[in-house]
Amino acid sequence: MKSAARWLAAGVLAGSTFWGLIQPANAQGIPKDIPRNQLLILENPEGTVKNAAWFNIWAINANSQSNGLQQAALDTLWYIDPNSGIDGVWDNSLASEKPVYNANFTEMRVKLRRGIYWSDGVEFTSADVKFTVDMMVKTPGMRWSAVLANAVETVETPDAETVIFKLKRPNSRFHSLFTVRWNAIWIAPKHIFEKAEDPNKFAFEKPVSLSAYVLHSHDPDGKWYIWQRRSDWQRTSLARFGEPAPRYLAYVDPGPPDKRVIAQMNKELDVVHDIAPEGMFTLARQNPTSKAWFKGFPFGHPDPTLPSAIFNTQLDMFKNKDVRWALTLLVDIKAVSMASYRGAATISPIHVPPTGRHPETYHLAMQDWLADFEIDTGKRKIKPYDRTMARQIADSLRPSMGNQIPSDPKDIAKAFGTGWWKPDPQAATELLERAGFRKQGNQWLKPDGTPFVIRVVVEGDARPIMTRAGSMIAQSWRQFGIDARVDVAAGTLLTRRAAGDFDVILSWSVETWGGHQDLSFFMDSWHSAYVAPPGQSQPSRNWQRWSHPELDKIIEQIRGIDFDDPKGIELGKEFVKLATREMPVIPLMSYNVFTVADETYWTGFPTADNPYANPVPNWGNSRYMFVKIKPKQ
Amino acid sequence: MRAYARYAFGRFLQFLLVVFIGINIAYIITHATPIDPVEHTVSVATAFGHTAPEAIESMRQSLRELYGLTGSPIEQYLNFWRRVLVADFGPSLSAFPSPVSTLIGRAIPWTVGLLGVATILTWIIGNLLGGLAGYYRRSRILKGFGIVAMALHPMPYYIAAILLLIVFGYLWPILPISGGSQMNVARGWSSEYILSVVRHSMLPLLSLLLVGLGGWFVGMRSLVSNVVTEDYVVYAELAGVSKRRILTAYVMRNAIAPQVTGLAISLGHVFSGALITERVFGYPGIGSLLVDGVHAGDYSLVLGVTTVSIVGVSLAVLVIDLIYPLIDPRVTVS
Repeated sequence: MKSAARWLAAGVLAGSTFWGLIQPANAQGIPKDIPRNQLLILENPEGTVKNAAWFNIWAINANSQSNGLQQAALDTLWYIDPNSGIDGVWDNSLASEKPVYNANFTEMRVKLRRGIYWSDGVEFTSADVKFTVDMMVKTPGMRWSAVLANAVETVETPDAETVIFKLKRPNSRFHSLFTVRWNAIWIAPKHIFEKAEDPNKFAFEKPVSLSAYVLHSHDPDGKWYIWQRRSDWQRTSLARFGEPAPRYLAYVDPGPPDKRVIAQMNKELDVVHDIAPEGMFTLARQNPTSKAWFKGFPFGHPDPTLPSAIFNTQLDMFKNKDVRWALTLLVDIKAVSMASYRGAATISPIHVPPTGRHPETYHLAMQDWLADFEIDTGKRKIKPYDRTMARQIADSLRPSMGNQIPSDPKDIAKAFGTGWWKPDPQAATELLERAGFRKQGNQWLKPDGTPFVIRVVVEGDARPIMTRAGSMIAQSWRQFGIDARVDVAAGTLLTRRAAGDFDVILSWSVETWGGHQDLSFFMDSWHSAYVAPPGQSQPSRNWQRWSHPELDKIIEQIRGIDFDDPKGIELGKEFVKLATREMPVIPLMSYNVFTVADETYWTGFPTADNPYANPVPNWGNSRYMFVKIKPKQ
Repeated sequence: MRAYARYAFGRFLQFLLVVFIGINIAYIITHATPIDPVEHTVSVATAFGHTAPEAIESMRQSLRELYGLTGSPIEQYLNFWRRVLVADFGPSLSAFPSPVSTLIGRAIPWTVGLLGVATILTWIIGNLLGGLAGYYRRSRILKGFGIVAMALHPMPYYIAAILLLIVFGYLWPILPISGGSQMNVARGWSSEYILSVVRHSMLPLLSLLLVGLGGWFVGMRSLVSNVVTEDYVVYAELAGVSKRRILTAYVMRNAIAPQVTGLAISLGHVFSGALITERVFGYPGIGSLLVDGVHAGDYSLVLGVTTVSIVGVSLAVLVIDLIYPLIDPRVTVS
């Protein structure tokens, strides 16, 4: 009896302890002692930051950038929004006007705003800008040291609000170094860094801020960072658009995609950075307060980045454009769209992302040219472009997705893109035969008689969408008789991409501003001068290692004109035509990011209907959300 | 006694040899990896911005110097051993310039805390229930538990973890699903922080218990089933010794010895972290650190973690081998 009583007591004690531990556990995912209705919780896709107390973003190994540091605390001269922006895509941030170049682009003059202060009360002046550049030029190995040392002769500051950059050579795009797309060269606080013995090893543990938020606290293990609105937020550049609504921001590592979905449903994650399409569909179905970029399908925010099947054009088998075109004509973009994004892809037939202002400038404007574009297969001429491809994808999804799928052609173009290349195995056969390839039984052989084998490198679980696209493309080629094999480079993709250790790689070598039609952001690096010899490491971004005299001419002409010169668009179109003819990479679609905002506590997030900012929370320009969203409770 | 000293000395030399070979293998493997940490850093640094391509080569050169990756492979190898002997693994390459020892020092308490508690708890509960099930073979409750344990034991850990996550994190959200403690709770010995740590460890702990229990249970039940047929147990039963006494003093005590060895080895493995547990539950331990290091090609970090793991496991086995002759009369040093 005694023993039974003892067991009972022990059970009651254990049970009550367990019960005590789990109450109120569902509040564990939010910070303690911070009112939930004053807090915006965003995902930091960098995950857990190993070097948690390191805020020196100017060091080469900056470690974390999107833990709120670049979105909430730092600032620089200009921003370009990948969408439409609050007041136009271009924003003079710390600069009060656009950059002014001299006639031959060897000098750039910048006028700065006055009345901007660091969070410790020190005024921001031209001395900070000069110091930032000089520090990196004098300290090799910092993040932008090499870039600045190559470009800048001197920096002069005739007064507190004027900076004059004297350049070593003409460079009409020098300002882009200080213009935020995802990031840019952030301005460093002179009064702090000038005391650092070695700027590369200075942790900047107590970061002073130049933007509207300052560090409140962070996890020593790097799982979360909390930023607090500055009491003097009016003395920052963001104040031009009003008061940032959230008093606190928390950038957190919510874990893998399934946990992000759970966290948002539990109201512990206001802004999900990205999830798999299946997670997006779950949130759309089960969490009415979840809002994505598009109201319905395809949901995701199209980043100005172009996932592609990139050929290693230094390999003999891909040197001939006929071969590249043959492989393009074997790809069924509808199948790729379904495999990768479950249909939620915005397809692009040309080498420009179908996002921001590009569709109006390039995709839609060039429809007639694309429709008339011809390929000579050696036996006949074909017109491979099908302008109804995006509509076909939308139509195939409508039976299962119902009225979530737009039917208005304009909406379809916005969500799914325009046309793409028709699969044409017969034309592919003719092109390959013209290039000296031949089919023996069910197997294609190269001109030297060896089997036509293609290793399609994908990233694996880290990037499931691209991996699924790559697998589908490999399958199309295999069905045609080419020995295409998927090669998973988990964790080694970046190294292999730079080393040229691939036949075809699923990645992107095209990235643009999105909000501005200028293509130099990626195109300049495609100049033949930068193509590495086989076996040597290729600088970003010409991973295909392709060069062409006509392309060099286009790039050199762009270098000699102003950023806003309309001639830039014409040259951009010339590039599109050349790249279409040559097909150095197979363009697939924009990088659609399933950024999802939960409107339980905050409303007014940017969407396709109100595209005032980029909602993807690791981008520097996502800061514009803070002044536009409103508390709901 | 002299024989034991000779045995202990020989065993210690063997331990040193195992550690030396293990660390060398780890060194070769990490340096043979196709991931170049410099290339990885350059790729990350230039991924989003507009970096003039001609600048990249000087960036690479600076990084090699910064990371101490200059010099011949032999020089790098000798430098590595010089540092290892004073427990210095150099700076982490992916979290430069933080020393690897600092990163490991920060992560180890989490892993040792979680896995140590989980290992000891599963060992105690599994052996206790396994011993009872082996001795009281007709008990329906214990038979039922045996069926459950046998069913859970082969279940892949990942599946069990995800199931728990869905049940207690989503369907019935009563437990925190991520992290080591609540955000914005100051670290220290306050009851609030400790309670927060305990709460956050419950789901990973439950998942480890769920899957780990079966192994100990089944093992102990088999051992006890063998011991109960021994002459001395039969004799004790015939002599009228109480069942409880037979179970504790005769059966369990003799059956537990191999399980103690297993426990020691399991405790040694604590230092390598539970990779999947820490990934699934976002636990800030050494397993997560190791995975991050592998993905970033951070030799220093991977070598630091594997060295700690090699030493931990080898030391645990050494301690067991040295203690065994002293506690088990059936083992003699000839």
